[in-house]
Amino acid sequence: MRIGTFKESYVADATLFDSRTQKMWLAIAGALLLLFPFVASDYWLYLACLVAINVASATGLNILTGYTGLVSLGQAAFMGLGAYTVAILQTRWNLPFAVNLLAGGLVAMVGGIVVGIPSLRVKGLYLAIATIAASFIAHFLFANLAITGGTAGISMPPAQLFGMELDTSFRLYWLIVPVTIVMLIGAANLFRTRIGRAFIAIRDRDISAEVLGIPLLRYKLLSFGLSSFYAGVAGGLWAYFFRVVTPESFPLLMSIFFLAAIIVGGMGSILGGILGAVFMTMVPELLKLIVDLLPGGSEYTVFLSPVRTMLFGLLIIGFLVFEPLGLAEMWRRIRRFFHLWPFRN
Amino acid sequence: MHNQPNSRRRSLLLAAGAAMATPLGIPMLAHAQAGEDIVIGGSIPMTGVFAFAGVGINAGIADYVKIVNDAGGIKGRKVKYVGEDTGYKVDVSVATFKKITSQNKVNLYYGDSTGFAKTINPELDRNGNILMAGASFASELNDPKKFPNQFLVGPDYTEMFGILLKHIAKEKPGAKVAFVYSDSEFGRDPIERSEAEAKKLGLSVAIKIMTPAGSVDVSTEVIKLRRAAPDYTIFHGYILAPIPEFISQGKQQGMKSKWMGTFWTMDSSTVMKMGEAGDGFMGVMPFRYYYDTEKAPMLEKIRALRPTYQSTAYIQGFLAAMLFLESAKRCLDAGKPLTGANLKAGLNSLKDFDTGGLIGTPITIKGNSIPVGRVYQADMKAQKMLPASDWIKL
Repeated sequence: MRIGTFKESYVADATLFDSRTQKMWLAIAGALLLLFPFVASDYWLYLACLVAINVASATGLNILTGYTGLVSLGQAAFMGLGAYTVAILQTRWNLPFAVNLLAGGLVAMVGGIVVGIPSLRVKGLYLAIATIAASFIAHFLFANLAITGGTAGISMPPAQLFGMELDTSFRLYWLIVPVTIVMLIGAANLFRTRIGRAFIAIRDRDISAEVLGIPLLRYKLLSFGLSSFYAGVAGGLWAYFFRVVTPESFPLLMSIFFLAAIIVGGMGSILGGILGAVFMTMVPELLKLIVDLLPGGSEYTVFLSPVRTMLFGLLIIGFLVFEPLGLAEMWRRIRRFFHLWPFRN
Repeated sequence: MHNQPNSRRRSLLLAAGAAMATPLGIPMLAHAQAGEDIVIGGSIPMTGVFAFAGVGINAGIADYVKIVNDAGGIKGRKVKYVGEDTGYKVDVSVATFKKITSQNKVNLYYGDSTGFAKTINPELDRNGNILMAGASFASELNDPKKFPNQFLVGPDYTEMFGILLKHIAKEKPGAKVAFVYSDSEFGRDPIERSEAEAKKLGLSVAIKIMTPAGSVDVSTEVIKLRRAAPDYTIFHGYILAPIPEFISQGKQQGMKSKWMGTFWTMDSSTVMKMGEAGDGFMGVMPFRYYYDTEKAPMLEKIRALRPTYQSTAYIQGFLAAMLFLESAKRCLDAGKPLTGANLKAGLNSLKDFDTGGLIGTPITIKGNSIPVGRVYQADMKAQKMLPASDWIKL
């Protein structure tokens, strides 16, 4: 049973990682992340990079939807803005990837702020529709502007670090995973600041927040901006990862994917964004592995593929019905069990 | 009292460890077992919007591999086909590629989309051991310099238009043509270059109409089309909708145009779904239909293997596997290792190659495509696509 975790000061209360056990597990997780590329196959490295990109974008959406209570179906469009910015800067001016990623985030941030303007007047489904409109506008621009390469899109060279091309999943891992970790730490810290608290206040009751002196428009736009910045950087990482950006790379379905990820993972929780993105990316792949392990699995691929898709859908529905607070809540329950163990009752 | 939870936790840990080790360990094991098999990998869209094609492609590749293995393989080496569903999503297709290539020593690969073909191209160049073909006929891929390890199992979309335009120019010199295409990479692909090609052939492009891919209400577009009064209307970038809507509304408004489509619209079952509107519908088909009666020993084999109708996607998958393995055979015959460059050279050495009647004329592959096709026309009474031209080579 875990004991001795009571807090004696405000600083201790606001600490990001508050116990030795937690720090130890984080160190283990960090060590595993460092070790992973050396033991995993190319396939698992690819999935790890994809998961990390999705975690970054889902965390961005979680800031907006989970913490500020503003629904958005435009996350993929903002990722597209980031990806195109990176691709254009890389192919035209060959700037360093760090500059490109930052620029991608900033351009997406500006896009997010513009799209967020209606958020003061409209909420819920209405806002969702406004953000869908943004997706269509972004798609139109991607497909029709000369600078974006039209429908054929842009093929780009790999990112370079000290003259070394980051062209394999192994090498990209060292770019994508650290950037995602920095973004996660940034997001976790955000909610220990006045800005993050304001976001939560707006989510819980925006009128009360305004009465408390929180300027709604400013903070809502800030939330949109930050969320889109995350999406833009994730889109930039996506561009370096796939090295081809086309208007069809960021469909509306992708925005729904991220919304589903934070719902399944647990809204308003950093861990929820991580678990949701991991779940949504990995479960279809794990279901494939299970199908492969079945006797004669590969011979029945045609029949088992739709079953796998349905099973994935059922799993999501199952989570929503039986655990509406998401995977993060399940994780909390598991932790509680071990905290109290062996006194389970 | 403490023992029970402890042992449970230990078993849990062991199970988790085993679960972690299995997926990470399998690749190495499979690598060791792959041996000297010639391996065809495949990112196949067996669910999602292109499932109708993927199921056929998967069966086509698997059947040809079975035929080859039953006949003793290629120079004594067995062929192994490893295909997986991608749902027609690029990221899943790439994951599938990574998975299959890390578990097998893949020599040949079938990809499911233009997006995937473009995305995986740098990886193919880096790997250097794989020759890839796929479901995409994008004109962009028909460039041996940019895509040295890939080829198209048929003409590219611009070449498909070229075949149709050549047929039109012969049937009605100076005809007026309309292009109706979807607002997608797939739809826009051949339009610009085909307009120039039409002019070269003495045809005039009366109008170009772009619509959303799955649009339903096309009444305003039909009015525009009627005003332009084309002799021929070529649809591209759709599977079915909104083609029947265009044709039935056009016919109602007294249009005399002949209606045409490209490969993905032209499967017999797709055209038959058009109902009355589809009668007389024409289009380009690079392969023979399953039920064609002209002499084709390979089609006869297919019909013996599968007594019911097989789609043109099936034929495409079957032919892809045939070309893959013919390239591998030529490589091995020449005593060369199965690298991407050698396999491609083997493919490009095909001169007047007989596909067993899958393509009704001997083929020569110089670059990345097979610029051959034939115009077929729907006969709704017979519920069949019948030849409307001879084989046209570009």
